Amino acid sequence: MTPARFAVPAWIRLTILAAAFAAVSTEQAQAHPHVWATIKTELIYAPDGSVTAVRHAWTFDEMFSAFATIGIKAKTKGQFTRDELQPLAKVNVDSLKGFAYFTFATADDAKEKNPFDDAVDYWLEYDPKATVLTLHFTLPFKNPVKAKVLKIQVYDPEFFIDFAFAKKSPVTLVGAPKLCAAWTEKPDDPHFLSAQSLNKSFVASEAFVGMGAQFANNILVQCP
Amino acid sequence: MKISLDARHHRLTVLAAVLVAVTAAVASHPAWAQSNLFGGPRPLASNGIAGWVLAKQAMFYQELAGMIRAARDNGSALWGLMGISFVYGIFHAAGPGHGKAVISSYLFANEETWRRGIALSLASAVMQSSTAIAIVGVAALLLGATAKLMSDTVNLVETASYVLIVLIGARLMWVKGHGLIGALHELKAEHAIDAGPGGNAHDAECGHDHGPGRMACEERDATMADQAVLYQCHGDHGHHEELDVLPWGHAHGPEPEQLAGPGGWRRGLCAVVAVGLRPCSGAIIVLVFALAQGLFWAGIAATFVMGLGTAITVGAVATLAVGAKGLAKRIAQKPIGRGGVIMRGLELAAAGGVLAFGILLLTGYMASERMGLF
Repeated sequence: MTPARFAVPAWIRLTILAAAFAAVSTEQAQAHPHVWATIKTELIYAPDGSVTAVRHAWTFDEMFSAFATIGIKAKTKGQFTRDELQPLAKVNVDSLKGFAYFTFATADDAKEKNPFDDAVDYWLEYDPKATVLTLHFTLPFKNPVKAKVLKIQVYDPEFFIDFAFAKKSPVTLVGAPKLCAAWTEKPDDPHFLSAQSLNKSFVASEAFVGMGAQFANNILVQCP
Repeated sequence: MKISLDARHHRLTVLAAVLVAVTAAVASHPAWAQSNLFGGPRPLASNGIAGWVLAKQAMFYQELAGMIRAARDNGSALWGLMGISFVYGIFHAAGPGHGKAVISSYLFANEETWRRGIALSLASAVMQSSTAIAIVGVAALLLGATAKLMSDTVNLVETASYVLIVLIGARLMWVKGHGLIGALHELKAEHAIDAGPGGNAHDAECGHDHGPGRMACEERDATMADQAVLYQCHGDHGHHEELDVLPWGHAHGPEPEQLAGPGGWRRGLCAVVAVGLRPCSGAIIVLVFALAQGLFWAGIAATFVMGLGTAITVGAVATLAVGAKGLAKRIAQKPIGRGGVIMRGLELAAAGGVLAFGILLLTGYMASERMGLF
């Protein structure tokens, strides 16, 4: 009663191992945001027509605003002054630095690496009626950008913060040369997904780094 | 004739298993699930199952805020809050950080029943809820701590949980590696015995008092198609003491009858702690919001109900893992002699998955959850 035996080809064995490994290590992974932020952005121009800074105003959702303000002493209950919130604003921009301020710049198809200096002119504003926080800060360009097409993207690569443009005037050009035009692209626009985000190397990750790029909000400015 | 039929049957099942596993892995990965291979334009975020889950969980999360506010003025809104929390938990657990990967790999590497899988999922969800409540309760309510301090606490606890995952993975790999080596030795021994002049091969196999040899032994018995003999044979082995010292992992996984024993539940405890130690950021934010509305107790109730929903999703994934293991085991039993090696190899791969997962989390290459700006 010699048992029937045959050789399982090595490639089949290897494939099984690889497949099993893949199956258990990549679960149905989908990062999910816990913070929603509404963006309003201004692009600041120098007299020579170059962009010198990006000025952001991000309004957070009610739950995150409540979380962020917990433990902060306020003179009037339910109302935080700019001064009372200033330490928090500092914490916010300091940690935002580690995430490149979630702001990415591409000038004439070339993605800029570390284009910004540290954030300046930052403060938090509390709206007691809507009970939401708005973070204001300015990102100066290290080198002012002169480009025919400037693209500013705002997104969290890990998609824990869901950014969205404000419905009303999400982008303002301040001091821009005449004939410069700005428009925005949102994730649900049909032409949205750029080749760039498709080519991004995909990492097997729980949070799937890079996924947030697919939810990016694009600002495009074209100057003659 | 019979031999070639068996061989073909085996090849087919193996191929089918590979196809299923690859398809599952591909389908489950957002990179493939979301990108269009042909690069054509395609709206995101609202498409596909992933987008749908994402949209739903965002919707429920934001409804939670409204429900908590409503509950402040109107007690009957509490029922709505519980309902939303429950559904939110189910959808929310589809995201990272609720232990699906750790628990299912753990279950795959060990021989566990689906009941235990669900129990482990439930236990870790309850523990996760409790950690969130404890952190917010102590930090915010008693200490008057700020969000930054709370986030730092969460980060610390998180790191501890990742270290635990690494330890569980390393431990499982050690045990399963031994299992694989053992199975390979058995295979060799079997060859040698078969080549030898008869003798009682079965007794030689089963005489070992050494766990990993069990598969080879099982197969011989399985050819007699007698499950009772299979278990009894295993029972005769005695356990490899050195490998059984720690509460998790097991030289060769518990048999069904052992699970009922008092030690059975202890083994999964480490996986439960590793997963449950790390609180869910969503729960923390909801709790703080409830606290700010003066409804902390409603937040606590909502957190537990949310955990129940989470347990359902994680439990479903865990059941899949147990089912996959059962399927793999049945397939591996066909090729006589090799089955043990294949099964130990699969278990080792699953153990490697846990280890790799823990290392990636610990080194920050994989982000689990972040509380926004802190």
